[in-house]
Amino acid sequence: MSNQFYVVSWWDVLMALVFVALTYGIMRYWKIGLEKTLLVGTVRTFLQLTLMGYLLSYIFKQESWYFMVGLLILMVLVASIEGYRRQKLPVPHYFLILVGSLGITVVLVLGTILKFILDVEPWYYPFVMIPIAGMIIGNGLNSMTLTANRFIGELKHREGEVEMLLSLGAPVRTAVHGSLVSAIRAALIPNINNLMTVGLVQLPGMMSGQILAGIDPLIAVRYQIIIMYMWITTAVLADVISLTFIYRQFFTAREQLRINILRRAEA
Amino acid sequence: METPPIFELKNVTREEAGREILKAASITIHAGEFVALLGPSGAGKTTILRLFNALDSPNSGEIRFRGERYDEGSVRDLRQKVGMVFQTPTILEGTVVQNLMVFQRWRKDFVLSDEDLYGKLEQVGLTGIGLDQDAKSLSGGEKQRLALARTLLNAPDVLLLDEPTSSLDPVMAHQILRRIKALQQEMGFTVIMVSHDHRLAVKYAERFIVLLRGEIAADGPLSVLKGDDSAAVQAFLNGGEE
Ligand SMILES: Nc1ncnc2c1ncn2[C@@H]1O[C@H](COP(=O)(O)OP(=O)(O)O)[C@@H](O)[C@H]1O
Ligand SMILES: [Mg+2]
Repeated sequence: MSNQFYVVSWWDVLMALVFVALTYGIMRYWKIGLEKTLLVGTVRTFLQLTLMGYLLSYIFKQESWYFMVGLLILMVLVASIEGYRRQKLPVPHYFLILVGSLGITVVLVLGTILKFILDVEPWYYPFVMIPIAGMIIGNGLNSMTLTANRFIGELKHREGEVEMLLSLGAPVRTAVHGSLVSAIRAALIPNINNLMTVGLVQLPGMMSGQILAGIDPLIAVRYQIIIMYMWITTAVLADVISLTFIYRQFFTAREQLRINILRRAEA
Repeated sequence: METPPIFELKNVTREEAGREILKAASITIHAGEFVALLGPSGAGKTTILRLFNALDSPNSGEIRFRGERYDEGSVRDLRQKVGMVFQTPTILEGTVVQNLMVFQRWRKDFVLSDEDLYGKLEQVGLTGIGLDQDAKSLSGGEKQRLALARTLLNAPDVLLLDEPTSSLDPVMAHQILRRIKALQQEMGFTVIMVSHDHRLAVKYAERFIVLLRGEIAADGPLSVLKGDDSAAVQAFLNGGEE
């Protein structure tokens, strides 16, 4: 039975519409009123994923490193635009900060995985690089936006403390230390909890996918363990790098808190 | 060459949200003075103290400390020399000692013995509290004095006090101002005290600057103020608090 896996046919996909039909029926019966959105979502899922499939199969046929690097840059840019739109933060140069921090994080984490841990040959082998880069970018962006938002909240809350410390002659970095630590801790706790509970409640999506695709669970587990460790490093790096840029935006060159920019942020 | 004044403001304007909250103010203050900055609420008193402590910069005009321009040199050294106690003191989570030793967060060589610390607390009249007491549990007046002690640990040349008595009853208010006055005579620093209550201020300050709507309406010893022929200044003086 090993290394055999079930190939899903387009007919199977069509049959899966029974789930949509069921949901639709329930919505109608309960007058939930989301039927139209459901149908749009159903079609979009189909189109987007099919398109992605073709795109990926094209990408995986490429053999030049500069194609892959270009693709990475594009992924970072698209993710940053998404993150920038999702959460309007009153941080000057916020978009540039997202792109820069995400870029640095990807280079560091992906570089470590590809060259040091897995030692993939060639290093831009797309079957490894693209999915892992996707995870780094997704997780890094999520963590960064959460942390940035939390940091601004902390800074507003601690405005008096920050100015008191500055007024005594403290450097900006010292005055914001408490806010930085709170924000990073808050962002890391879910990631660390994840390390505690992974596999106990449900299988991580990537591992489930690998097993469905016929990969020996013992091998899938190895991948997942590496991913879990990578996950936490990605979060901490993305947070620390982005916050290093972000906190400076709230101070002038004369080490004064830019209260007006801070107050522009919604609570 | 004579020594330059400790503070010199020349035509200092500060804008906030497109409004001039301080209009071309010029003030000269000499070392050792005890100046009361008076005016109704919203007049711009806190604005001036924040400029002196370099927490804000003027939009135009020039500020000098001992002849040195404010926009040059180390701003941290400046803030250390020009200490400020805010109207609502910020007390950090933790004990009284942790609040006093906050300087260790950025000055690794900052050390003080328990004796030194108790001495500082006594200077500001904070006796009967323990160093390991939770600072958040102190009363409003005690917090104010803890904040004052903390600022004094920098051994500042100037003490900026923003409404230091606003959370105190009259007896306490006089007690703390007497302390400050005594400390000033002992340590020789300059005091600029913001107050909206000139009746309290006259007992301690020698010079009075009245600020009305962002403009300096009067400046001088009490006798000058009393004789000021501006109706607005007289209205403020006669109106008492507010
Ligand atoms: N950050 C700010 N944004 C807008 N207006 C401000 C700001 N800070 C102070 N002001 C306004 O400037 C004026 C002077 O304020 P302030 O110096 O605090 O007065 P006070 O004499 O009571 O200490 C007030 O009208 C106040 O509302
Ligand atoms: Mg004020």
